[in-house]
Amino acid sequence: MKTRSCTKTMAHFLLASLIILASPLFSQERFRRTPPVPEPLSRLMLPEVQSTSLYNGLTIWVIQENKVPLVSIRVIVYAGESASPDSLPGLATLAANTLSRGTSDLSSAQIEEIIESVGGSLSTSIQCDHALFSLTFLEEYLDQALSLLSSMLIEPAFLKREIDSTRTLMYYDLVEKSQTADFLAKRQMHRLLFDNHTYAKSTYNEDVLKYLTQRDLVQFFLNMYRPNNAHIVLTGNIDLQTAYAKVGRFFGRWQRSETETASLIPPEPMTKTRVCFIDLPEATDATITLGNVIIPPTDPDIFPLIVMNQVLGGTPNSRLFMNLRESKGYAYNVFSNIEFYKNCSVFFVQAKVKPEVVESSIQEILNEIRLLTRTKIPSPEIEQAKSYLIGNFPLQIETVDDLTLRVAQHKAFDLGDEHWKNYYENIMLITSDNVLETAREISLKTPAVVVVGDSSIILNQFGRFIKEVDIFNKKGIFLGTYKFD
Amino acid sequence: MNKDQRLNRKLLFLFVFIVFQMSIAHVEAQEMIEPPFSATQYKFKNGLHVILSEEPSLPLVSVVVAYNVGSINEEPGKTGLAHLLEYLMFQGSENVRRMQHISIINRVGGEFNSTTTGDKTIFYQRVPSNQLVQVLWLESDRMKSLQINETNVEQTKQIILEEISLRKTDNPYLESFWRFDRLLYSDFAFGHPVIGSSDDVKNLTVRDVKNFYSTYYVPNNAVIAIVGNFDREKTLDDIRKYFESIPQGKDIPPAPMPTVPEKKSTVDSIVCPSAPSPGFHLGFRLAPPSSEAFYALAVVEYILLGGKSSRLYKRLIRRERLALDLRGEIEKKGDLARFKTFILNNNQFMVQRSKRAIFSEIHKLKTSFISEEELRKAKNMLRKDYINQYASSLQRALFLAETFLSRGVLLNPSEELKKYLAVTPNDIVGVTARYFDIDSVILDVKTK
Repeated sequence: MKTRSCTKTMAHFLLASLIILASPLFSQERFRRTPPVPEPLSRLMLPEVQSTSLYNGLTIWVIQENKVPLVSIRVIVYAGESASPDSLPGLATLAANTLSRGTSDLSSAQIEEIIESVGGSLSTSIQCDHALFSLTFLEEYLDQALSLLSSMLIEPAFLKREIDSTRTLMYYDLVEKSQTADFLAKRQMHRLLFDNHTYAKSTYNEDVLKYLTQRDLVQFFLNMYRPNNAHIVLTGNIDLQTAYAKVGRFFGRWQRSETETASLIPPEPMTKTRVCFIDLPEATDATITLGNVIIPPTDPDIFPLIVMNQVLGGTPNSRLFMNLRESKGYAYNVFSNIEFYKNCSVFFVQAKVKPEVVESSIQEILNEIRLLTRTKIPSPEIEQAKSYLIGNFPLQIETVDDLTLRVAQHKAFDLGDEHWKNYYENIMLITSDNVLETAREISLKTPAVVVVGDSSIILNQFGRFIKEVDIFNKKGIFLGTYKFD
Repeated sequence: MNKDQRLNRKLLFLFVFIVFQMSIAHVEAQEMIEPPFSATQYKFKNGLHVILSEEPSLPLVSVVVAYNVGSINEEPGKTGLAHLLEYLMFQGSENVRRMQHISIINRVGGEFNSTTTGDKTIFYQRVPSNQLVQVLWLESDRMKSLQINETNVEQTKQIILEEISLRKTDNPYLESFWRFDRLLYSDFAFGHPVIGSSDDVKNLTVRDVKNFYSTYYVPNNAVIAIVGNFDREKTLDDIRKYFESIPQGKDIPPAPMPTVPEKKSTVDSIVCPSAPSPGFHLGFRLAPPSSEAFYALAVVEYILLGGKSSRLYKRLIRRERLALDLRGEIEKKGDLARFKTFILNNNQFMVQRSKRAIFSEIHKLKTSFISEEELRKAKNMLRKDYINQYASSLQRALFLAETFLSRGVLLNPSEELKKYLAVTPNDIVGVTARYFDIDSVILDVKTK
């Protein structure tokens, strides 16, 4: 009897266990309740970047990749806005944009036809330090693509009608951008930070374009567009030897000449907070941009600042967003960022807030910045920021276009292995002490502050924390100083 | 060993065997494709389809969860439901707090987004590869147990109503796009806007939302595509763990069948009072995307509208300067395809001249063979766009999920691409003559 009852008990137990185990509820609830713990991230194997140069000084960078049958090319020429003559801001941009509008033997329409025939897309972007030309196309058309790019960069026609048409497009583009608060605020911040510096030329408005002549463009081109002042980066199923031969065939005729380089003296950081306002009547929200000049990207101390920026305003989980949006409900969005230049960087915060809380929002942003210079960031927060930066890095180099752009920027700023091969290690090694030490040394507490919005709601708020505000119009013309008693 | 002991051992063996079977229940690969990349499709017992495609070069992974539901599945008076559900999917589920999904993806350095179209609702994320299991946890929880209550439905409705109002302010032509769709698609299911009408959105109830969710956001109406750096067996185990116990939904209601409209031209007009310039919409009803004729029609799209060297751009913008702006595409909804263009002009005279110019370009395509050179250009542009559809892990996951939902099978990209590239000048004449026929749809946009 005893054995039989034990067997029955055992049978019941097993049956019950089976029913419970088979029940979805039992098996689901436990593992569904909390997020699974991720395994360590596998190591990033960076693609190799090889280089060589032509005898005329053009540096070639090659990343051999065969994931897709496309080739992506970036050409960097150190002919950014800082290279425009002091009296002719906008010249570098107009020159770069006109290069694709005709060469000695191709019309503007023919160039478009060729680009589309190779399944290509061409874009041009002009920064302070350099102009960047991007072309991505089907891999079998490498010769045609290089031939076209070399014609544009070596023998542009600069026809008057094409210059005028490009100028008109640029004019309307700037007029349109000037309707947006983000653009106005950022341009004004750059004007304040780069006052009396060669970088200030990049903050021009649409009115200056009419002063640029065909002769100016040609002269600028002859001075700046030289192979020894340029890099070419190619990504695709192509090895260094082939790249050297092909680039040499099409760019070998580009004649070397010494170029006029802009002053390498970095702009000085602002040491006293200055507040500016641009009126945008009936704007439903207010845009705040504040920032200051910090160390160049080549300085090793940039890594603690990259981590610090992540903690402060890199994502919607960062301090600024959690404070100004989630906790106080002041902001629609608020982020911080670091812009790289060749001989400095700009650290800035940009926020879109409710107009009636502009003053409180600025105070909160400044408080968050002050906190970084006074108190160590708790270790979990630092680790969180580092894990974001490490995890996000491969996402930025996945496509041939992304990878080429990243390498091109890397070369344009002459960043070296610290920002490429050793990037992970440089981020991983940062501690709360490093961040506090570096944050204390830079001028984060005295930024240039620009607010764009409806003056009837915003202007009087400034009197609560500052004695005067400089007023500018949408073109960046100084209108006067508003003083508070 | 006595009888009872044997029974005990048998029961124990049965117990161990069942537990073991539960843990290794294997899912057979249903289909595979090879170059330009390999992918394998699996079907789980609750009807969930999974497509896996390894790309180990970088430590990242993209996950797409696509549901075969969109605005075409909405009934009259209930428009905007699919779009509202898309928003609600970020508002929390049984084990995931409101916005926690977004927060987790952000914290790990990942990216996420979602979209609702006429026939699909897609959620996607690109994350460091070690976070794959987190994404599966997040996605499974909202597939299994989305929180739908008075509070979050009302909040989401308010957000969408604001969005509708903002879109109307930002785009003075918006009403004309909506009217044009109603004319071009003729059936309610296909012709109403994805975002829904304000009146319908206001009237949606918690019950409407729950019904729609339990009908369509179920494993047997979904496909998961994972592309990137992952271990296949472990990932299959994880998918099984998180998704296989989600109950299969009822049979999915059949998608609405479009009616065949009468073959006659349609002309209508609309006044957009705050629009700065007049213009017009012009469209044609094309062969279904799954038909053989569609390959040639896709090439026609590039000939007419592909880039600045396309026929319509050159004629209307560059050469004759008739239009201020020209945009257009072939739009696909379910198994319907429509050629759509929208042109802005300085005045009514230019509107009429632009229409004549477009019809004249279409007439040329019908009556004379395109040169080999121009055809090659159109195909090269198409080819690059086609390749770009799988140029990153996320794009590839989207490509796999979307094509699987549209066709019900894994498409081999190389084989598909060959069909586009095999289009001849003769095919171009043929499809243009057949589908760019008298049944054009025109909506004039007047400013006052």
